[in-house]
Amino acid sequence: MTPLNITHRDAATGPVLHVAGELDYDQAAALRRQVEDVGLGPGQCLTLDLAGLEFCDSTGITVLLAAWQHARSAGADIVLAAVPSSLRRVFTIVGLDQVFNLEAGTDASGA
Amino acid sequence: MCRTGDSPDPAGAGGRARTAAAFSALLEDSAEELYESAPCGYLSTLMDGTIAKINRTLLDWLGLEREDVVGSMRFTDLLTVGGKLYHETHFAPLLRMQGELRGIALEIRKAGGGRLPVLVSSVVKYGTEGQPLLIRTTVFDASDRRAYEEELLRRRQDAERARAEAERARAEAEEAHRQAEADRLRLADALAVLQQSLLPEILPVVPGVETAVHYHTASPDQLGGDFYDVFPVDGTRWAFFLGDVCGKGPQAAALTSLTRYTLRAAAHHNPVPAAALTTLNTVLHDRYTAGGDPRYCTCVFGILEPGADGSAAVHLASGGHPPAIVLRADGRAELLPTPGGLLVGILPDAPFVTATATLAPGDTILLYTDGLTEARTGPTRDHLYGEDALLAFAADQAPAAPGEVIEALTDLLRGFGDGLDDDTALLALGVPATPSPTGPATNHSR
Repeated sequence: MTPLNITHRDAATGPVLHVAGELDYDQAAALRRQVEDVGLGPGQCLTLDLAGLEFCDSTGITVLLAAWQHARSAGADIVLAAVPSSLRRVFTIVGLDQVFNLEAGTDASGA
Repeated sequence: MCRTGDSPDPAGAGGRARTAAAFSALLEDSAEELYESAPCGYLSTLMDGTIAKINRTLLDWLGLEREDVVGSMRFTDLLTVGGKLYHETHFAPLLRMQGELRGIALEIRKAGGGRLPVLVSSVVKYGTEGQPLLIRTTVFDASDRRAYEEELLRRRQDAERARAEAERARAEAEEAHRQAEADRLRLADALAVLQQSLLPEILPVVPGVETAVHYHTASPDQLGGDFYDVFPVDGTRWAFFLGDVCGKGPQAAALTSLTRYTLRAAAHHNPVPAAALTTLNTVLHDRYTAGGDPRYCTCVFGILEPGADGSAAVHLASGGHPPAIVLRADGRAELLPTPGGLLVGILPDAPFVTATATLAPGDTILLYTDGLTEARTGPTRDHLYGEDALLAFAADQAPAAPGEVIEALTDLLRGFGDGLDDDTALLALGVPATPSPTGPATNHSR
């Protein structure tokens, strides 16, 4: 098990959270808190950079959906950036590609 | 050792002189003096026990004067009640029989109250004709020895008390453990009953179709979040579903319960897979997600319709669930795509599309939850089993009847060991290669 590691920085488009490690039942609450604490304004974009995310189970997906709700209620946008291909496949199976703007490859938030 | 140097050795010349002086003092010691002041009590009695002679040492111990004793008291008068009894029943008869007795423990009464534990030895003096004349008795102060024995006894009682204490503590711990175990079993029973309300106890018989199922519970203390069901919707059609709710524990169980009964009701209302999932989506979204508590499930929902020609039509829709696998009679295994399906319950309006497949005789459709594909494999448990490996495994098994597929997968799951850390549900439905003699269902609603 790799512990979840979240780092926060601010880009021109809005806050960026780098999420690395394994996002599962035991660790999802940490990301949920971080997302709720992020200051988001209308027109901003919350970027979740998942380049270092190795695993995401159903609880992790719930947290991503909570982040999506959080961004929408703030009038902001949300992007999942640098989604690893293994996760992209899972996200596509569960239809997250219809909810999120999924960006592949490297961090596209314009640091 | 006996050097005669100038050392002040006690065994030397000076020492020898002192020893000689001590000897002469002893010689001056009269027999009478020795008798009276001996370090033990002396006592002579007639054969009836009347005290004829007694020494000063014993008189001092008793706190009595000679004239109180000699000629007027018997030996037994000196003893405690218990001692008297023992004397009558054992001491005197044995002494008459054997002529002597040694080291008998008795207690004598002191004049000022109190008792003195003593060791008594007696010997009978006989006359020239062999007739018993008198009894000579020595009395040793045994209070030190008695104290020692009492100390031993006390220690033994202490040890026994400590042992009893430990025994009681152990019994209490055992009782507490038993209680905890009983509580645990009661809780496990309650969970098992709840779990059974989330899953059908047995699958109904579907004429012309074989069904098989397996449910792996990751933790016996945790309510599972996977579910499945098979049930008739009318005389000719059967509904089946399998899915996985997000999260674990009681909250997941509540979601599972809502999901199961919503799908059952929806299927009776309108037995079209996409419609059933749309209903479920609305219910879950209104109940949870709309209130800011995003919860959802993944689900495959199908309607099975056995045909007159021995095949069965399957209509299928998926919401965010891994694709079903069909094991064909010709040995192929293929994914059954159900595109566009979104997690059920996250958006107010979710698109679900019904796909259709036909199961020919010998074909089996397999539904599974991601506990199977996300099992951790490899020596360091850092590799996920995955969909490709599962499809290859299915191809190896094909063609296979539902029972065989589930059995093979159950073995596979067992082989994952502790790499299988999530609940896993497996459901297989298939048309037997040789048609079933019962034919399609006509009246199997329950």
